[in-house]
Amino acid sequence: MDSTEPVEGARTNPRSSRATRALVLGLLSLPFGLLAPFAIWAALSSLRRIRKSNGVLSGKTSAAFGLVAGILGMTALIVGTAYWFLAP
Amino acid sequence: MKVPGAVRRLSLGLLILVVAIFTYPGSVAISIVIGLTPAPAVSTPKPGTLPWLHVEHPNGGQPYIADDRGRMVLLHGAIAQGLIDFWSSADPTLTDSPPFYPIDPAAYDGKCPENSDYMPAPPLCQADLQQMAAFGFNSLRLPLSWSLLEPERGRFNQMYIDRIAQVVGWARAAGMYVIIDMHQNAYSRYVGRVSKPPLPGGDPVLLRYYTGAPAWATITDGFPPETYLNHREINPAVLEAFSNFWYDRSGIQDEYIAAIATLARRFKDDSTVVGYSPFNEPLPGWNLPPGFEDLLLFPFYRRVIDAITGVHDGLPCWTGFYMPSVCGYRDLNVHDVHHLFFLEAGLLREVTDFPTHLGLPVSSYPNLVLSLHAYTHEYTLDTFASQPPDKATYPWGGYDQSYALAEPEARAMKAAIFISEFGFPPGQVGDRVIASQLLEMEKHRVGFAFWTWKENGGGNWSMFVAAKPTTPMQANGCLKSDLERLLARVYPLTSADPNLTYHYDPSTGAFSLNARGRPGDSATVLYVPAEVTGQVTATGGLSDNSVAVNPDGSRLVTSSPSGGAFSLSISPAPLALTGCA
Repeated sequence: MDSTEPVEGARTNPRSSRATRALVLGLLSLPFGLLAPFAIWAALSSLRRIRKSNGVLSGKTSAAFGLVAGILGMTALIVGTAYWFLAP
Repeated sequence: MKVPGAVRRLSLGLLILVVAIFTYPGSVAISIVIGLTPAPAVSTPKPGTLPWLHVEHPNGGQPYIADDRGRMVLLHGAIAQGLIDFWSSADPTLTDSPPFYPIDPAAYDGKCPENSDYMPAPPLCQADLQQMAAFGFNSLRLPLSWSLLEPERGRFNQMYIDRIAQVVGWARAAGMYVIIDMHQNAYSRYVGRVSKPPLPGGDPVLLRYYTGAPAWATITDGFPPETYLNHREINPAVLEAFSNFWYDRSGIQDEYIAAIATLARRFKDDSTVVGYSPFNEPLPGWNLPPGFEDLLLFPFYRRVIDAITGVHDGLPCWTGFYMPSVCGYRDLNVHDVHHLFFLEAGLLREVTDFPTHLGLPVSSYPNLVLSLHAYTHEYTLDTFASQPPDKATYPWGGYDQSYALAEPEARAMKAAIFISEFGFPPGQVGDRVIASQLLEMEKHRVGFAFWTWKENGGGNWSMFVAAKPTTPMQANGCLKSDLERLLARVYPLTSADPNLTYHYDPSTGAFSLNARGRPGDSATVLYVPAEVTGQVTATGGLSDNSVAVNPDGSRLVTSSPSGGAFSLSISPAPLALTGCA
């Protein structure tokens, strides 16, 4: 189950911790491509939960940027590995 | 205070963009662009005493080293350590002993300084080059030390460069090529020494085999100089010094590039020099693979090539401190566009016999060589489990693993392959290891440099028995006959067929070569050492086949194709070995 944590401001929605995880994993997947699938999974999972929470959970920006970084890391990994086999 | 959403989104976007540019996405993108960049047009070089070599790129085939007629060239040679700046002193507490052998070329004109047991190897003299050529070697890998080349920051030692030029001149006179190797072992002999290691499990440093960087470029940040697991490279001070080099701390990498450029400026028009090996056995420091090679090592090679050739492959960047992988380097106005660059993968590849990086284009400069050290069962993982070579459970693909994986690796890099180091202490096991490596080199049609030509002390690895520590001390003892049997081999010096197959059997002296040719193709030239006494036979599509006997008893077989398949063979016959048991 997704955990929540209080953030600054009484009227601020609780933040999806999985969104933060997605952002951190996404950033780490840029130098360490093998983390990219985990970043993408965490980001998609977080975005789904945020959408289902009907505005209760926040963190959409972090999750979205984690997703972008994860996709970038994954693309670099796939292209870099594929080039090895496809090089003329 | 709450950060507005737009600012937060912008900050996150910028953060991801910067990290992406500095890491794999940027590195892969720049490599793909380089892969699509046409090779720079180059002018015909001034004719040299020896034919200029280059890397040929056949359509869909494996790149290979070729001569000015496009024929594949196999380089066979040894590594002579006489120009390395080894630590040497009778006083084990002295960390900065001066260079032992003279640097002034005048000390070697028609004479040779006396050998000394203080040094791991004898001085390199003209007789060595003549001996190598008589042995059938057509090349020398010449290791140098940055500490002698640039002993003070920004001041290059012209006398040392003259000494290098002297050796290149001897090689030219002997008809041999030279690969100039920026050598190092465990970074530097200036990593420091402690008498009592402060950390548990550490052993005191033995500086005798530490070489490379000058003192001013050895930044250890106070990490203790002590070794672990009996490996000089597993040393906190060494790892820290390497890391600082890769991150260009205090601009030391810029100085290193300038040092190579100084050498290249001197030898720019010299066809005797095959090319440059910018870094021997690169150790990652504290960095992990594959990021070390993809984000630090190969981008460093790209910068060296940019600086020396004038190609502009990376992005324009700052210099003087950490340069990310996308960065190229400024043109240092050498414009050397004819020499080869021998690029070594990280040291971990030597330990695993497995590629430890993504195979991506390094440079649009066409004369690149993937330079490998073949130390299967000497330094590979099986040795950490103390497994004998005959019973080793790694590498899973045997001796072939490193070579078979190197082919797609080199194709991806658009590079030829060369074994820039291999060797093993001879003996029953060692002979089998060396023979197995040579068999793989034949199978994959790659040349080699043998470690090592001569050495003092135990002398286990060298082709000659070490000299006894007498006064005066000779350069060496006798040639080891088991290495003479293995290394004085029949091999094609050149052939217009890059797909030829050949095999020499050192146990019988028999040889066979199968190739194809078209009418008018340049000749295949076979070297037959004096040790091999069998009859040469040529069959198939040849318009001409001649055998010339050299004064030293070796033979050159020159075979001109007339079209179709042809074969050359040498019958089994007793070897005329001259070495000692």
